[in-house]
Amino acid sequence: MAIAERVEKPPLPPEPPAAAIPLIGRPDAHRRKLARLGWMFSAPALVVIAVVTLFPIVFSVVMSFENVNVTGSGYQFNGTTLGNYNVILNNQTWRYALGFTVLYTLITVLVEIILGTAIALVLERLTHGRGWMMALLLIPWSLITVISAQLWYYMYDPSYGIIDRILHALGFGNPVILGTNTSAIIALMVADVWKTTPFVAIIVLAGLVMLSSDVYEAAEVDGANGWTTFWRITFPLLRPTIALAVLFRVLQAFGLFDLPFVLTQGGPGHATTSLAVLGYRAMFQDLKFGPGAAVATSTALLVVLGCMAFLRVFKAQVGSEGN
Amino acid sequence: MASANKRFTPGLPGRRATAVVAGGLAVASLLGACGGSGKSASGATSNTTAGSSGSSGTAAPSGGSTAPGNATSGSITWWASPITTSGPDPRTVLIQAFEKANPGIHVTLVSAPNDTDTNRAALTTQISGGGGPDVYMGDVIWPAQFGAHQLAVPLSKYLPSSYWSTFANGLVAGATYKGEVYGAPLFEDQGFLYYRKDILQADNLPVPTTWEQLMSEAQQIQKKGQAQYGYVFQGADYEGATCDFMEFLADAGGKVLNSSADKSELTANGDALKALTFEQQLVNSGVSPKAESTFQESQAMDTFDSGKSAFLRNWDYAYSTSQASGSAVVGKVGVAPMPTFTGQSQPGYSNIGGWNLYANPHSKNLAADLTFIKWMTGTDAQKILATQFSEIPTNQSVRTSPDVIASNAVLAVVPKTKLVPRPAQTPNYPAVSQAIYQNVSAVLAGQKSPQAALSAANSAISTAVSGGGL
Repeated sequence: MAIAERVEKPPLPPEPPAAAIPLIGRPDAHRRKLARLGWMFSAPALVVIAVVTLFPIVFSVVMSFENVNVTGSGYQFNGTTLGNYNVILNNQTWRYALGFTVLYTLITVLVEIILGTAIALVLERLTHGRGWMMALLLIPWSLITVISAQLWYYMYDPSYGIIDRILHALGFGNPVILGTNTSAIIALMVADVWKTTPFVAIIVLAGLVMLSSDVYEAAEVDGANGWTTFWRITFPLLRPTIALAVLFRVLQAFGLFDLPFVLTQGGPGHATTSLAVLGYRAMFQDLKFGPGAAVATSTALLVVLGCMAFLRVFKAQVGSEGN
Repeated sequence: MASANKRFTPGLPGRRATAVVAGGLAVASLLGACGGSGKSASGATSNTTAGSSGSSGTAAPSGGSTAPGNATSGSITWWASPITTSGPDPRTVLIQAFEKANPGIHVTLVSAPNDTDTNRAALTTQISGGGGPDVYMGDVIWPAQFGAHQLAVPLSKYLPSSYWSTFANGLVAGATYKGEVYGAPLFEDQGFLYYRKDILQADNLPVPTTWEQLMSEAQQIQKKGQAQYGYVFQGADYEGATCDFMEFLADAGGKVLNSSADKSELTANGDALKALTFEQQLVNSGVSPKAESTFQESQAMDTFDSGKSAFLRNWDYAYSTSQASGSAVVGKVGVAPMPTFTGQSQPGYSNIGGWNLYANPHSKNLAADLTFIKWMTGTDAQKILATQFSEIPTNQSVRTSPDVIASNAVLAVVPKTKLVPRPAQTPNYPAVSQAIYQNVSAVLAGQKSPQAALSAANSAISTAVSGGGL
């Protein structure tokens, strides 16, 4: 218990000094001039950001509420409507895609966090060759997904794929990996975990390295074993780092597009149709820009809400432990 | 061929980390937005251009001649994806020959994406934004969609019926939407039956003309161990499965849409059931591999090339591929029209693939565009395509000319085949096709019964043709 008590009071991060330095009340011309100059210098960058980020997002949101028809002479907006959302909410494929995307995100992120943390813990103990190991680990992460997906496609191939051969040798017969729902979904998840676990490992490792050794020494003195040390010290202290990794991964996994696009085209059936694949199809195969924009906008909204909720819960937890 | 093969996918938006979700969609909306932003100005001008030339019936803004297709000067761009993967580029060869015949017109080639869907997405955004190439090479399944969205010029408004009658039967009908022809067929592709000459000879078996015959011969060959599989085709969850299903369906006497392309006729009984049940039997009997539900062209081709299958359904490129180095069946392959079901008139149907030439409504030089399109579909260009590049000509006289027939084993079979288009007469064809291939593939994967698959496809097609759904 003594350990626990001590552990649950990790050193607080220093309070942000925001309130410490009161703005001295001399809003002189010089200061305002400086501010204006600052705005001027950042204006070009802000314009670029507005053009390439804000405008398309706003346009996409507007489009999702419009009766839109794409023609040779541009987009025709034929009146505001909620019809696009009505279409997607009543669409079975959309509902499936939503469920699939959420489930896919939850499972892959969970597996990646567990594996990534484990790898980071091992890496932290490594005294020799840590740099080499990290470089090796980063290879999957640095490969462009379209290319790694194509490589996985070869490995999953039912006539000459290595994975097919291995499963066959292990007595699983001749499974058609990308041909049945469950196995295709698992195949996508494996490819995803392979690629992004290193990313999580690197982030967690960065967090681990920052931890103060004092707490560990204290734990050792109190006779804590490795398991207890992990759960009572390492994990709580790593929470902010892990939260960051989770956030990054959730945002990315929710936009799942390239893996199914290359490996399964969203199939078999709808099995691996993610929200992004569905939106792409609606927009660029069927030229249904209204419903497509509704898919994109609702997806964005969901992931933003999800992340906010996550941060809130997480902050509350960190806060309570901190005090 | 390329029309159905999506495996070679060059360009994708990369993983865009957090950029508010669905990286692809953000990029998509960006592209769309850029297109949209230019619409007010360019849309207005282009409308008047198209409108005026349409009403007067002649198109010669700057071409130097008044008769459509007879312009003698100008400069145009031609958007086309690569036609072959090795040797001299047919596109450049054709452009050079065209410029020689029409010294006043200069054509600039713009290389388009290989992947059909990426190609379409790029064209759609460019054209709806008021720009894009003057003439573009597009899939045979695009006319209705592009016509409905005014992304292509109705060519039949400018080119006379005497021109359209130079094409082989069925090709112009496939490029027509609501009475107007939107695409001029440049080169065609279609399904063929490839077979192992050596095995059939050894066993004293004839080339099968019916599906039933193909199945029993295949089983005989498999029993003797001469090939692991009997027949390989395209059954994966993609466009190719629709192509192959259309052949079985037409052979059985069925069709997908009614004549006005606004109602599904794919019911879960009769002809359609016969067709899909046969496809299922191919897999269940072991004549076709269990992995059929993941087979695109390349997997079927690899299986055949490695000597593992007695029969193959594929497009016209398969013959030369099977005779290339690295193939285990060099000198052992024959090609024939597709089989049909017993009791139907022979031969069986071959599904139409291939590429059309379309004109952009925003083109400033429609007269020169038409000259180019006319020349490319005329005898000179078509002969080049056929004899130098083994593409199937669309021009009927070239198709049947003795030197073309003599030039290549596949081209010799072409005049003996019977064609069936995909149900692309609706602007919602992509969703219709998806309804077909997803359900066909599910049957081949053993996940659905033919009945269940057909009724699912039927209701999805009904939704699709009415413009509903996603």
